[in-house]
Amino acid sequence: MAWRLPTQLATTPPRSVKTCTRHDSLSWRHTLSPDGLSSSPPSPSLFTLASSYSSSSPGRRCHVQPLVTCTAQTANLAPGTPVRPTSILVVGSTGTLGRQIVRRALDEGYDVRCLVRPRPAPADFLRDWGATVVNADLSKPETIPATLVGIHTVIDCATGRPEEPIKTVDWEGKVALIQCAKAMGIQKFVFYSIHNCDKHPEVPLMEIKYCTEKFLKDSGINHIIIRLCGFMQGLIGQYAVPILEEKSVWGTDAPTRIAYMDTQDIARLTFIALRNEKINGKLLTFAGPRAWTTQEVITMCERLAGQDANVTTVPVSVLRLTRQLTRLFEWTNDVADRLAFSEVLTSDTVFSTPMAETYKLLGVDSKDIITLEKYLQDYFTNILKKLKDLKAQSKQTDIFF
Amino acid sequence: MTSAAAGTPTPTTAAFNSTCKWGPNSSAEYFFATISLRNPPTTTAVSARCLRATDRGHRRFALSVVPRATSPSSSSSSSAPKTRKDHNQNRKDDDDDDDDDDIDTTKQQQQSQPSVSMIRLDDVNPVGLGRRSRQIFDEVWRKFSGLGQISRTTRTDDETSLLINEGGPMCEFAIPGAQNTTVLVVGATSRVGRIVVRKLMLRGYTVKALVRKADEQAVDMLPTSVEIVIGDVGDPSSLRSAVKGCNKIIYCATARSSITGDLNRVDHQGVYNLTKAFQDYNNKLAQLRAGKSSKSKLLLAKFKSADSLNGWDVRQGTYFQDVVAAKYDGGMDATFEFAESGNAIFSGYVFTRGGYVELSKKLSLPLGSTLDRYEGLVLSVGGNGRSYVLILEAGPSADTTQSKMYFARFSTKVGFCRVRIPFSSFRPVKPDDPSLDPFLVHTLTIRFEPRRQKPIEGPAGTKQDLRSFKLIMEYIKALPTGQETDFILVSCTGLGIEPTRRDQVLRAKKAGEDSLRRSGLGYTIIRPGPLKEEPGGQRALIFDQGNRISQGISCADVADICVKALHDSTARNKSFDVCYEYVAEPGKELYELVAHLPDKANNYLTPALSVLEKNT
Repeated sequence: MAWRLPTQLATTPPRSVKTCTRHDSLSWRHTLSPDGLSSSPPSPSLFTLASSYSSSSPGRRCHVQPLVTCTAQTANLAPGTPVRPTSILVVGSTGTLGRQIVRRALDEGYDVRCLVRPRPAPADFLRDWGATVVNADLSKPETIPATLVGIHTVIDCATGRPEEPIKTVDWEGKVALIQCAKAMGIQKFVFYSIHNCDKHPEVPLMEIKYCTEKFLKDSGINHIIIRLCGFMQGLIGQYAVPILEEKSVWGTDAPTRIAYMDTQDIARLTFIALRNEKINGKLLTFAGPRAWTTQEVITMCERLAGQDANVTTVPVSVLRLTRQLTRLFEWTNDVADRLAFSEVLTSDTVFSTPMAETYKLLGVDSKDIITLEKYLQDYFTNILKKLKDLKAQSKQTDIFF
Repeated sequence: MTSAAAGTPTPTTAAFNSTCKWGPNSSAEYFFATISLRNPPTTTAVSARCLRATDRGHRRFALSVVPRATSPSSSSSSSAPKTRKDHNQNRKDDDDDDDDDDIDTTKQQQQSQPSVSMIRLDDVNPVGLGRRSRQIFDEVWRKFSGLGQISRTTRTDDETSLLINEGGPMCEFAIPGAQNTTVLVVGATSRVGRIVVRKLMLRGYTVKALVRKADEQAVDMLPTSVEIVIGDVGDPSSLRSAVKGCNKIIYCATARSSITGDLNRVDHQGVYNLTKAFQDYNNKLAQLRAGKSSKSKLLLAKFKSADSLNGWDVRQGTYFQDVVAAKYDGGMDATFEFAESGNAIFSGYVFTRGGYVELSKKLSLPLGSTLDRYEGLVLSVGGNGRSYVLILEAGPSADTTQSKMYFARFSTKVGFCRVRIPFSSFRPVKPDDPSLDPFLVHTLTIRFEPRRQKPIEGPAGTKQDLRSFKLIMEYIKALPTGQETDFILVSCTGLGIEPTRRDQVLRAKKAGEDSLRRSGLGYTIIRPGPLKEEPGGQRALIFDQGNRISQGISCADVADICVKALHDSTARNKSFDVCYEYVAEPGKELYELVAHLPDKANNYLTPALSVLEKNT
């Protein structure tokens, strides 16, 4: 058993938050805050990191001044010039959802800053669109504050990469980001969570998301939490492309249904919600028009592609077994975390929710939300046409040479 | 004889048999191993065969790559003769005596496996195999662990091939014509221009940005793949390179101060310079394509020799008969002649009250061209500052009695100038007649009348007699029409400007607008209310003509209108005011209200603009 999030720490009101001060943590707050604030020894560190929550670093438990109280005062320190309401920071902007958020924001006239990790091959497409790219890493909290200067709204659509441990970005990083946003007086915080995350505490990612929701609520920032089901864009790589390339498609026999949604629609609805003052502090769930099982999606792809898929069905029990096995070893724990959704898959859950009320709240017509049939049909029409063009081209070159 | 069947298509199989056996009396017994690659593009099996020749007393190893044409199920049966032949060939190299059974088997298999390429043992060394199996395992594991996820991120390198990437047809911003269109944005760092540039980039346009200085601040503000051109709208020579290769121009620059000099330089002269540079560039293109370009004008008359004056009649007439006065005035006279200097000069005087002289010709168009594909006339004339009336007669050419007359007034200046007169500015002489149909035009007339002549400015103007005239004619051409707008100008309504300077600002903007209208380019003039820095697409917009609006508008909405207008035929040659929706004051309710909902499929611009007047 690896580590369990001490949920009670994050979910209890901030007054009783117990943290362990890490003296090696950041010290920039001392230079910013007046001397009176850091009176109680041991001096409360603004960026008491979430890693101290995890049981892997037990440390000393000591009662410190609640974080939120202390940061609220720092926010009052610098009245400064008011930030422009069009300035937003997108965290996780290179992801499937993040890039759609950036695009939509730019198109609606926002000034977009993108927080991306420093990497050898920089995300040039963001700068091509006109966004500003700043380098920072959620797992290195000292890099966060500078990116928040002059920002009105933070949109957080980051999730850790599959190959790295879940808690580094998704928990410790997020907590640092929220605390920092609070301290720097960010006026709105949009957080993307997972649908049903409160019902599956056995899945680490969902539990983290749920705890982050709680943490965000307790922080007192103006926020919107949006729970999502599944992205249509993910299906392309998973089913559509393998079917076209006549490779084997892997599916499960799980009865789980997921209401997939186009990320472009999610981005559009997000900005409508963002501008609606009535939605402040609310929890929204975005789901697609219909929930689909894996088998149904594969069948539809086969029909649209006009060819049969080479389906390898993996029983859910195998997935579960693998998870159990990988949990036995310390070094495969990350793997176990990644496989944890198998628990959800066996439980016959439906990842969907009626959207009528949300549409009404946002003033959106349900006809404008793209359905999976339409999305996949568009995709296959376009790609089959492209493949035909390519074939014609290659024939031409054959003759030419 | 034992053989390992070729692998199943599932990527897990990696069989390797390496046992060797050689019976002394059997002709050929062998083992081979098959390694099935994971989903190879063309199915091949690498057969590593181990042969041992016991009778020779030494061992030999040979490896061969065999393209596997047969299906997995039949591979075990077909592989037996295949390998037998290989073996025979190998053996033949060394010992030719043992050949009785070789000949028939070789013949037998000659056609089935003509080419067998040999590779060495190193290619199947354990390291390579290990690496390969590792890749296979990784791939399988990736897929396997992917099953346990609700949704996963697609990697960036995948996306380009998946068609869901930026600018692909699956992107909601994609515009069909964008790939081949280059847009020059002037004022790219302004509040509107910044958003215009981003919107254009998202839609896949090629964008050029005109900046005065390529300093760090300006460059940082622009997307990386925008081509930055350094130039100043106040300096015509710097604009020549800027317009090169451009299809459209969006002008959202404005003077930074309300000092008259600044206003003139940017809002008036700047627009003039840029339209001129763009027109010159278009003309050059048209010349290069030898009149075949859609930008080529149609030549109606060119006065370059004495012969070219044939067909032009000089007539005179009066609007009314004033018998008494006519006895005492000097009468009138006019000539049209080809001067020795090489100019065709129409000159004369009209002293009679109510009199006029005119120069007229029946048009003969080249075969296949009709004037309805053109949108106006351009005259290159040199004059002494008089104004003239251009009259077109339209109707069935067979029956001139049914012809209707249409007129438009144009003024000249001292020296040569080009006058552009759109067909839409012609008004019927009889107010009840329908508006001009260029298709039916058969006669063109230039008339001079002493009425409504204004003295030219300057000291010479006062000495001249306004009743005499001199017009040097160079050519008359028809301007080609276009479907889309070429030049989008973001002007202003004058709201929100400090009252003391409003007149000066508006005068400069108006002059800029006028020079654009006269340029002959397809234009769209957007006059937004006071600009607000807030996200666009939130509120309904009002499109109106006639300076009645009272609200502001967000910069992003103005930018959106600019981008949408690029390919909208209803936007061509229109000027309009735009602002947020509001409840009109009594007496001012006449506006076109079009809801602008934040919806990806919503093209609100076409219905909004189609009801507005053209050529305003």
